[in-house]
Order: sequence, then C-alpha cells, then structure tokens
Amino acid sequence: MIRPTRASGGIAALAVALTAVALPLANPAAALAAGSLALFLLWRGWRFEQDLSAAAATLTVVREVDRTILRQGAATAVRVRADLDIPAGMEVRVRDLPPAVAVGDAPLSLPGETAAYTVRLMAPGETAFTGVALEASDAFFTRDLVCRRFDAPHLRVFPVGTAEAGGGTKAGSGETEVDRRAPLTGQGTRGFRPYRTGDDPRQMDWKVSARRGALYVRELTGLEGGSPLITVDLPARAGEPEAFARFSMAVYGAIEAAIAARDGCSLLVVAGGEVVRFLPRTESLRECYEALGGLAPIEPRAPLYRVPGPAALAVRAGASGEPAERAYRERLGDLVARFAAESPAPFAAAVRAALGRSGATEVRIYSLLPAGDKSHLVQVIREAKVFGLRVVLKAPAGAGVLPGIDAVEAI
Amino acid sequence: MITNRQFFLLCGGEVLVVAAGSLAAALVIQVIVLAVFLGDRRGYPVFAGGVLIFAAVLHAAGTIALLAVAGALGCGYLALTLYDYQLVRRAAGGGA
Repeated sequence: MIRPTRASGGIAALAVALTAVALPLANPAAALAAGSLALFLLWRGWRFEQDLSAAAATLTVVREVDRTILRQGAATAVRVRADLDIPAGMEVRVRDLPPAVAVGDAPLSLPGETAAYTVRLMAPGETAFTGVALEASDAFFTRDLVCRRFDAPHLRVFPVGTAEAGGGTKAGSGETEVDRRAPLTGQGTRGFRPYRTGDDPRQMDWKVSARRGALYVRELTGLEGGSPLITVDLPARAGEPEAFARFSMAVYGAIEAAIAARDGCSLLVVAGGEVVRFLPRTESLRECYEALGGLAPIEPRAPLYRVPGPAALAVRAGASGEPAERAYRERLGDLVARFAAESPAPFAAAVRAALGRSGATEVRIYSLLPAGDKSHLVQVIREAKVFGLRVVLKAPAGAGVLPGIDAVEAI
Repeated sequence: MITNRQFFLLCGGEVLVVAAGSLAAALVIQVIVLAVFLGDRRGYPVFAGGVLIFAAVLHAAGTIALLAVAGALGCGYLALTLYDYQLVRRAAGGGA
C-alpha cells in the first residue's frame, strides 16, 4: 500500500488540528479547511496510484546476462535497463531483482540507465529473475511496486560435485568430480597404437606390449594434433530428469574442458536425422552454449527409418566373404553406386561436411541412447570412420553400445 | 518534494481560511492556497469541485458535515486499497 511522506503527514496533522478547532467552536471556515485538507490527501493518493499504474504499464526491461548456463556458486554479470514514461511530479527509480537463489543485490538506477551488477547462484536447477522493483514517489506518497513479469532470461544452474565424464579411454572409466580436480593435471594417455619406426622409445608401454606380443606405444592427450568434435544427440523427450541432468552436465563439462585444454572444439548437434547446429573449431563457450540452445529435447523431424547410410553400405559391399555372398555384395555395391547420385543421403552428407570442416581427430558422441531408431548415430560413426577418426560414445551406463564405437564411457 | 517553507506557508494560508468571515470567502481562499501550494496542478479542477460540494454540504448541515467527510475518507481509502490490489496483480503478471 502507498505510504505517506512527511508532507502528507504534516497535512494530516494540520487537518486534525483544524477539526479540533472547528467542532467545539462550530466554526464552518475551520471545518471547511479541515475537510478540504482531508479530501486533498485522498485526491492526491488516488492520483498517485493512477500515475504509478500508468508508469508501470509503459515499463520495458532489457536484461543481459553473461552466462545463462552455469555451475552452482558461479558468478555472472548482469546488465539491466528499464524504460518507462514517468508522469510529471513523480520520481521513479528501478532496482533489478535477482533470482531467489542468488546472492548479490542490484543497485538502484534511474529509468533509461543501465545498471550492472554481479550475482552468484547458490542452488542448482532452473531459475529466473524475480522481476524489477519500482520505487515511485511524489510529494505526498511513496510506493514500491514489484513487476514480476520481467523474469527473462531463465538461468540453468548445475550442481557442484555432479559426476562429469573425464578423460578415460575405456568403458565405465574416467568419472571425476568437477570440483575435485587436481591443481596440476598431468598428461593423460588417450590410447595405444602399434609401434612405428621413429616413435619415441620412452612412449613404449611395456605392459601392453608384453600382453599383446607386439610393441605398442602410448598416445598422449594433447598430441593428437586437433580438437575433438563433440556430437550431441538431442533426445526426443527429456525422460528421467536425473539422467537428463547428468547428460546435460556431461555435455557442458566436456565443452568447457575441451575449450580449456585443447584450445577449442567443434560442436555438432543432431536430432534424429537432422543436423540442428554445427559449430566448427570454436573457442567461445558462449557460442557453444548458444548453439546448444539450452539442450532442450527436440522431436525429430527427419527420421531415417533405420537406414544404415552410404558409408555403412559401402563397407558392407566392399567386405570379403563366402563366394556365395560375394555375388550378393557385388550386386549390392553396384546398386549403391548406381543410386548414390539419384538418392542422396542429406544427413550423411551434412555430417561428412561437418567432419571435414572440424579437422577433428576424435569424435565424442553424447547420447542418452533412448529406445528406437539410432541409425543417425550409426551414420555419424560410419562417416567418422571414413575419415579415420576415433569415436567415443558417452552414454548412460547400461544404455547399450553402437557398432563401430572405439570406446564407451558412462555419464 | 515539499519544503518546510512551503508547509509553513500552507499553515499560514489555513489561518487565513479560518479567519475569513464567511464560508464563501473561506472556500475561495482555501482553493487558492492549495493551488499555490501544489506545484503540479493536473486534475486540480476535479478536487476544487469536490471542495465546492463539501462547502455546500457544510453550509446546509453545519460542522456535522465533517462526519460525512470522515465517511467519505473511509470509502475512499477502501477504493484506493482495491485499486492498489489490482495494480499489484497487474504488475505481477496476473492480469487485471
């Protein structure tokens, strides 16, 4: 409710004093003065409410946040500007209201000015700004009005301590705590490959060599000469919230880690047989977050109906086998070659183009592996294999595997 | 903002109103004093009309008309509260 200022308090006191004079003395002039002052206050209160209502109706708020997806406890800078038409005689100041789970206060600012402040979000989950508060006043009344409809943008806060996919190379390995990473991280082993002449003998792994009966050398992370291509398979539905939260966390964590450790990564976002977004060789977290678009589930618009894709067909046609099967494969190869030009595979072509532009040496596929058609992932894997890339699948434990995968890691 | 000087001038004006010989003179002085006191006079004629009606009631009923003013103030406060409630609902995005 509106609050009186000192001036209106004084006028009310004056009206009471005049009433005290008018009643015992039966003085109509004093009664007129007392009554008119009381009516004056009522009229001014009504006008103040109307002015405030008119000002609030014209209020527009533009709020910018450095990051809309961030970790619990992380700080983000907010810039907010409110514009409104202020009636004559009224003063309005604006204060932004941060999310309820945020620590940090916004400064008061005049309409048309941009206020900048920092908030730290302390609780995980989806959250939004509370709105803006108008502190309006005129000569007789003041009022604080909270406008809650200006709550954009929505923020997404991930919990601290959620398991994030690490840098392991084998299924089920490599889970690390986000906030417990060692301050000095050594160079890890990405994998092993047979020894070639000229390799550094110090990279020889004697245990693996002894087990396999041939010389193997370690391939170190950071020496593969390229950034990874992070492929995100957007699910059709969010499904189980906890699994989806872990999936989101793993994707964002991987992007942050890749950008921090390898000077950039490429991002390919797919939904069914459709490339939603592709970002080649970026070093900007913001670009990646924008490309992910909040990781919202998308209903596939271009299902592939379990088509294996041209790369898989070519491999199948080219494989050697029994003599009886050889004729079949030759006919298959002939058919594939004939229809390749007339029946293009747009998804495979888009993935091929993305792989070519990314310059990646490793493809990391993040997927919830829901039940149903996974042929788009099969096509991604096959196309990656054409480029000779290593493919790592990051999926929930027990969700299954896909053919052609080099390693599976649980998220 | 209203300064102390303005408020004392208003008090002086009210003394003039009380000292006026007739109700008509008091009405004229009161309207002038409050008009001078106000910087922004948007909607002032509406208020002046209300004061005129009050003066007429006062002339007809005597000082007991102050009770009518008290009742009007109570109703006005109630209306103001309802209007304020609607304003808060609109600001919260809950519609009119």
